[in-house]
Amino acid sequence: MLLVFYLPVLYTFYLSFTEYNGLGTPEFVGVDNFAAMFGDSAFLGAVRNTMIWVVGTLVLPVGLGLLVAVLAYGFRGSGWLRLPFLVPYALSGVAVGVIWSFMLGSGGALTQALQFLNLPGTELRWLQDSPLNTVVMVIAAAWQGVGVNALLFTVGLQSIPKEPLEAARIDGATGWRLFSTITWPLLRPSTTVVVGLSIVNGLKTFDVVQAMTQGGPARSSETLALTMYRDTFVNSDYGLGSAVAIFLSVVTVGASIIYLRRQLSLSSASLGGGK
Amino acid sequence: MTPSRTGIILRVTVLALLGAIWLVPVYLLLANAGKTVGNYSGSTLWQPGSLTDLWDNLRQVATGTDIPRALANTAVYSVVAPAIAVVLGATVGFAVIVLKLRNGFLWFFVIYCGSVFPLQMLVIPLFDSYSRLGLYDSLTGMVLIYSIVCLPFSAFVMRNFFAGIAESVFEAAVVDGAKTLRIFTTIYLPMSSSALAVVFILQATWVWNDLLLGLILTQSDTTRPVMPVLTGLQSTEGGGASYTVVLAAAILVSLPTALLFLVSQRYFAKGLALGQY
Amino acid sequence: MKTLKLPAGLATVVVTALLATACGGEANDAGATTGELAFAHNKPWDFDAFSKVSKQDIDISLKSTQYSGDPYRAFIRQSFRTKESPGLFTWEVSTALDELAEQGVIAETTDLWTEAVEKGYVSDAVRQLYTVDGKQYCTPISVDNWVMFYNKAIFTKYGLSVPTTWDELMQVAATLKQRGVTPFWNQTKNFSFVWFQTLLAGTDLRLYNDLSTGKAKYTDPRVVAVMNNWLELQKKGYFNDPGQTDFARDLMREGKIAMAPEGTWFTADAALAGMTMGKDVDMFVIPAVTPGAATPIAIETAPVCVGESSKQKSLGLKFSQWWMSPQGQQPWVKQQGNLPFNSDAEAPTPQMKALKSKLAAGKYEYYNRYFEATPVPIRTVALEQFSAFLTNRGDPMPYLTAIQAAADEYWAGR
Repeated sequence: MLLVFYLPVLYTFYLSFTEYNGLGTPEFVGVDNFAAMFGDSAFLGAVRNTMIWVVGTLVLPVGLGLLVAVLAYGFRGSGWLRLPFLVPYALSGVAVGVIWSFMLGSGGALTQALQFLNLPGTELRWLQDSPLNTVVMVIAAAWQGVGVNALLFTVGLQSIPKEPLEAARIDGATGWRLFSTITWPLLRPSTTVVVGLSIVNGLKTFDVVQAMTQGGPARSSETLALTMYRDTFVNSDYGLGSAVAIFLSVVTVGASIIYLRRQLSLSSASLGGGK
Repeated sequence: MTPSRTGIILRVTVLALLGAIWLVPVYLLLANAGKTVGNYSGSTLWQPGSLTDLWDNLRQVATGTDIPRALANTAVYSVVAPAIAVVLGATVGFAVIVLKLRNGFLWFFVIYCGSVFPLQMLVIPLFDSYSRLGLYDSLTGMVLIYSIVCLPFSAFVMRNFFAGIAESVFEAAVVDGAKTLRIFTTIYLPMSSSALAVVFILQATWVWNDLLLGLILTQSDTTRPVMPVLTGLQSTEGGGASYTVVLAAAILVSLPTALLFLVSQRYFAKGLALGQY
Repeated sequence: MKTLKLPAGLATVVVTALLATACGGEANDAGATTGELAFAHNKPWDFDAFSKVSKQDIDISLKSTQYSGDPYRAFIRQSFRTKESPGLFTWEVSTALDELAEQGVIAETTDLWTEAVEKGYVSDAVRQLYTVDGKQYCTPISVDNWVMFYNKAIFTKYGLSVPTTWDELMQVAATLKQRGVTPFWNQTKNFSFVWFQTLLAGTDLRLYNDLSTGKAKYTDPRVVAVMNNWLELQKKGYFNDPGQTDFARDLMREGKIAMAPEGTWFTADAALAGMTMGKDVDMFVIPAVTPGAATPIAIETAPVCVGESSKQKSLGLKFSQWWMSPQGQQPWVKQQGNLPFNSDAEAPTPQMKALKSKLAAGKYEYYNRYFEATPVPIRTVALEQFSAFLTNRGDPMPYLTAIQAAADEYWAGR
């Protein structure tokens, strides 16, 4: 595990200090790649877009996932109601790409529907104008991600012990109050998983954007993962691509440490696990 | 929890409405996969297709493409690898939380970080080492890499699930004189069956839909999974499959995973009862 | 972050080890000239069917694996460092080919080319595209000409005849526009270069060639003028919405566009959309914007290459030689319905025959398609900027400046 994962990481780390085109030998160039990276305005745009993605991923799929999980919990047959949200996750990347090209393409299904229903918005160019393109792609990703989060929250709900809920109910707590004072705090292990994963996935956003706009037009919807991909796979500038990859990883690890350290120590302390 | 009847009706209504919205985009795929080349048009995407044409297109996928053969390979990967990852992940979670392994958090974090690094950057160096180790283009190699990629998620979820189980469970078992391994297999694993199932299903779906690893690390008919084949169908510059057939292929390939979620709903109902005790 | 210290120490060791083993390009050619040849490609074509032909003719069958997308290039590049270097693989005749040749990782094919050109199998113009520092590498499996495909029914309906000059073409476009038919197809992303290429090469082929070799700048007033010409055509409404993701073939079948500049491989696309060549669609040579001695035609050629360190080097070269010869070319174009580059091979359809004899009779000057003619890092930026130009119509200067910045950087590093 360590070998398979961390050797390539170390290799990438090394490449980020070299100039290398995938052939011949890497040539050491110090921090040139990092200087070039930070000096590129498209990189800064990618940082901005990636931040939109992180926030978007934390708000939409997590919030809706929790909503679906809570609404579809605790009565017979509720599993079937969760199913529609899981279908998008089951679809292959090709299917998802095709579906959203249909939806958002110029004069595509969404525009046709708005026209048919006489609604405003037919003049919007979903994928061509920034930051609208990033926003609609966040929604597309949410469409795919809600089901998974709902499922993870459901598992969390199942593991909540019955006694505190009963006790609270005897005290007269219902609905929102029951949820916010008892269920929500006891859901913390699941929330940690979902939020932790969402941060990582938001930072690493790639598939949807690659399928829809490839970061365009003129790199306006590029995320950091796309910048990395463009440098490495399109331009064969492995050094620069590696530098972006390292930057992205450091940010992700940093965010994870900040988030997990707090959350895990909290949950460990309150529930008696951990160190 | 025994919510009121009106409450349930309200909840069902909201969920059904939201669910219907969720399925609308999927309709587009189904509708257009059920059209002939002549019927398909970018300006009438909402128009429904016909079942006969859908069936025809599916039949062309089954007989005229490499999809069926590749599906068999993918099936192996997405059953075996997540199974390994789930068991390993549960072991890690158990060791860290219940056994309070020394530096447990550190170990956990090292595994967790495996999910941080972008896969796109891993795949080319991986190809190189796989070729040196003789793992390139082999079933073993693919199962290995998929298991490893699935492990962080599995460990993360299981660790947190075990953290939610009261410590007294473990202590009671120890007092009863049970050995650690027995506690793990007879108490903790059954108790977390729904979490294990969720992790397995999510990871199986991930493996099923992986494109990049399969694209680069295999080349033979006997090892190549289905996504590289499906993606290959999409490029039609100067030949290839017709577009509506490609759409049908995209549906066909997604059926097993959709079915997996469907079938597992019954299982979750059972898990529900278990989680409640 | 204590965790990272230990591995960091290991890093140097590991990386050194990786590098030491990385440069092992020794000759391991098994020397076989019959058998099963591993073939990596990124084309949608039916190589399994073609394998049966080659198996019968020269006792070599193809074990082909289809790849797609950008990682294909990275995979091939890396493969030369492993024992998996394919015996045959598809590539592109751009600077990506120069890089492989300069690095010595692909087999030289000078002998094959000398023989093929002498025997008249391939033209010398095509050979130039496969030449790096005076030597040849790789061989062509197809040479497509970029022509204008058009919907015959629309032309008949409005009584239009095939234009032979640029003015006539514009006349046709104006008439179509008047009748509510969008004359031309265009699209952003990978195909955003098409009209730049058509207009620039048609106006000043020399400038086009200078641009691709770094002798001229994108900000050159003559290039700006071409861009403004393009902009004017856009403003006249001669193109479909460039953001449309629909295939050109579908738009043409539905009569939403009348004409599309495409490689001759588009015949297969037309068939996929259910159109018949000669009945529903046909093609004509795109007239030059500024008439000169010869009409410029873009060519697009798909090469196959052989890894220098491949175990199947001999086998791959044998296959390449056969594919370029009439024995291989004839069944191949028959399968593809495409124009043969071999002047001895017979064109498979009446339309291709007509095009072939027209090209043989007139005066034409061939140039490498923009996608291959432009160095890859410049191309990446150019495709992005052309797409942006199509999406947000306006002053072309900012887009050209951005492309020129990439060009400056590239040529400075040469």
